[in-house]
Amino acid sequence: MTTFMALAPLLAVVSGALAALLFEAFLKRKDHGVSAMAAIISLFTAGFLIVRSWGLELAYFGGRLALDPLALLLMAVFVLIATFVLLMSLEYAPRRDINLGQLCGLLLLAVSGLMIMVSSTDWLVVFLGLEVLSVASYALTGIRRNDWASSEAAAKYFLMGSFAGAFFVFGLAILFGATGDLSLAASLSGPGGPAGSPSLASVFGLGLIVVALFFKIAIVPFHMWAPDVYQGAPTPVTAFLTIAPKAAGLVVLFRVLTPLPGRGGTPSLLMQAVAVAAVLTMFVGNLAALRQKDVKRLLAYSAIAHSGYLLVAVVAGDGTGLVFYLIVYMFMNAGAFGVLAALSGRGEEHTWFADLAGLGRQHPWLAASLAIFLLSLAGIPPTAGFLAKFYIFSAAVAQGHVLLAVAAVLASLIAAAYYLKVIVAMYMQDAELEPVLDRENPALHLVIFLCLFGVVQLGLWPGNLLTLIRQAFIALF
Amino acid sequence: MVWVVFLILSFLCIGSVAAMIFSRNQAHNALFLVLSFSSLGGLFGLLDAPFAAAVQVLVYAGAIMVLFLFAIMMFNLRGELPARVKKARLALTVGLGTVLLAELLLAGRKLVLGSPGAGPAAGGDTARLGHFLFSDYLYAFEITSLLILAALVGALALAGKREGS
Repeated sequence: MTTFMALAPLLAVVSGALAALLFEAFLKRKDHGVSAMAAIISLFTAGFLIVRSWGLELAYFGGRLALDPLALLLMAVFVLIATFVLLMSLEYAPRRDINLGQLCGLLLLAVSGLMIMVSSTDWLVVFLGLEVLSVASYALTGIRRNDWASSEAAAKYFLMGSFAGAFFVFGLAILFGATGDLSLAASLSGPGGPAGSPSLASVFGLGLIVVALFFKIAIVPFHMWAPDVYQGAPTPVTAFLTIAPKAAGLVVLFRVLTPLPGRGGTPSLLMQAVAVAAVLTMFVGNLAALRQKDVKRLLAYSAIAHSGYLLVAVVAGDGTGLVFYLIVYMFMNAGAFGVLAALSGRGEEHTWFADLAGLGRQHPWLAASLAIFLLSLAGIPPTAGFLAKFYIFSAAVAQGHVLLAVAAVLASLIAAAYYLKVIVAMYMQDAELEPVLDRENPALHLVIFLCLFGVVQLGLWPGNLLTLIRQAFIALF
Repeated sequence: MVWVVFLILSFLCIGSVAAMIFSRNQAHNALFLVLSFSSLGGLFGLLDAPFAAAVQVLVYAGAIMVLFLFAIMMFNLRGELPARVKKARLALTVGLGTVLLAELLLAGRKLVLGSPGAGPAAGGDTARLGHFLFSDYLYAFEITSLLILAALVGALALAGKREGS
C-alpha cells in the first residue's frame, strides 16, 4: 500500500531529534532532562507506529521506502537499543561533562539513518542513510570533549569512515554505469534479464560496496579502527556503536548477498570471499581479545568476533538465525556495557581487570548480571547466546558449509577462555581497590534488568520471537 | 553585446590566473583562483550551458576554494622549500603543462577541421535535472537535508561553545 503513513516512524524520530536539539539550545536549564524526555517520547511514538505498520506492507516514494516485515523488525530493534542507550546516559552524561541534549539529538539522528538504511532497496538511499548514521556516530564518539581518548577515537572513526564512504560511492558509480539502475535487485541481474548472471563490472562494483559495508561493521581486514573507537567512545555510545550499525549493515548485506549463489561463477566467488572474511574475523577478534587487560577493550574485540558469527548467518542464507542473533546480541552486549557504565565513577572509567577484582563479594547482583551476560556472549547453554549460536551454526551445516561451521565452533571455544577470565577476576580475586560504583542510578539499573530479562527469557522460551521472525521472512520471500 | 561580455570575462579569467601565479601571498593566490573560476563559470553560461556554469561556481569557487582558504588559514605555510623539491616541482609542472597543451591543441584541431558535430542536447538539461530531483529522487534529496543537519549538529557538538565556559 503506497501511503504517506510509511514515513511516520521516520518522521517521529527526526522530529524528536529536532525537538531535543531545540530544547537543548533554548532552555536555560543545565541538566537537559527535557531534551531526554522529548527523545524518549519520540522513540515510544516511533515504536508504536512501527507496531501499527506490522503486516500492512506500507510503501512510499515509488517503493524507495518500503516497510516490509524485516525492515519493521530491525526498526523496532533500533528503537529499543536507542532507548537503552538514552536511559544509560541519563546519569552518565552529566557526570562526565557530556551535553545530554546534544547526545539525544545525535542519537536520534543516527537512529533515523539506520531506519532509512534498512527500509530501502535502493542503493542511493541506503548510502545516504549510512552517511547520516556515520556522521552522527562520529560526533557521538567524540562527544566527551575533555577526554583525549574520545577525541582521538572520533578522529580515527571519521577518517576511516570517510574512506569507506568513498569506496561505497565508487562502487555505486560502477554499478550505475554497468546496469543503469540503482536498485538492489538490478545490481544482481545481468544484461540478459533478472535471472541472468550479472556482468563482471557490476560484480566489481558490488564488491566495492561490500567492502565499504565491511568497514562499517568491522570485519577483518577492515577492522583496524574498531577497538580504539569502541574503547575511546563514552560507554553508552559504545554499546550503541557495537550493536546498531552492525545490525543495519548485516541486514543490507543479507538482502543483497543471499540471492547471489545461484547466479553463476563470478558472484559465487564474491560469496566465498565473504566466507573467508567471516572466518578471519572470528579468529582475529577472539585471539586479540585473549590478550586484553581492559574489559572495555576486550568487549570491543569480542564485538568484532561477533560480526564474524553474524556473517556466517549471511553466508548460510539463514535470515531467521541472523535476526534472532542480532536481537540476542543487543540484549547481552547492551547489558555488559551497562554494567561497565555502572562501574565507572565520576570522571575516570574503571574497566581494568584489577578494578573488577572482588566485585562478586562486594556487589553480588551487579557481578552476577555481568557474569550472565558474559556467559551468554560465550554461548553457554541456558542463556540466549547459546541458542543464537546454535541456530546459525546448524544452518551453516544444513547449507553444506561444514568447514565454516567447524571454524565458528573453534572460534567460540577460544572466546569462552577470555569471558571466563573476567568472571574469575570478579569472583576469585581479592579486591586491591575499592570498586567505584554509581549507586543512585535507577535508569541504568532498569536497563541492566531488562537486558538480563531478555537474555534469560530468550534462552529458555525463544518460541514467540522466532515465530515472529519466521513470519517476517515468509512475507519477504 | 555578447562579444563585449565574452571579452571582459576572458580577460578577467586569464588576468586573474596570471595574477595568481605572480602573487606571493597565498591567501591572494586562492582568491584570484576563485575569481578565475567564477569568470570561467560566466563563460560557460555564455556557451548556453547553465548547469555547467552553476556547478563551476558552486563546487569549484564555492566549496573547494573555501576549503583551500581554510587550509591556508589553519596551516600557515611560510617556510621556503628545499632546492630538490623545487626542481622536482618544476619538472612536474613542465611535464603536465606539455600534456595539457597537447590535449588542447588536439581538441582545437578537431573543432576547427572536423564537422560542426551534433552539438549539445537541445536545451532543457537543467529542467530535466530538476524534474528528476523532485520526482524519482525526491526521497534521496530529502535525506540529503537530514545528512546536512546531522553534520551541522555534529560540528556544533564537537567544536561549538563549551557549556559553562
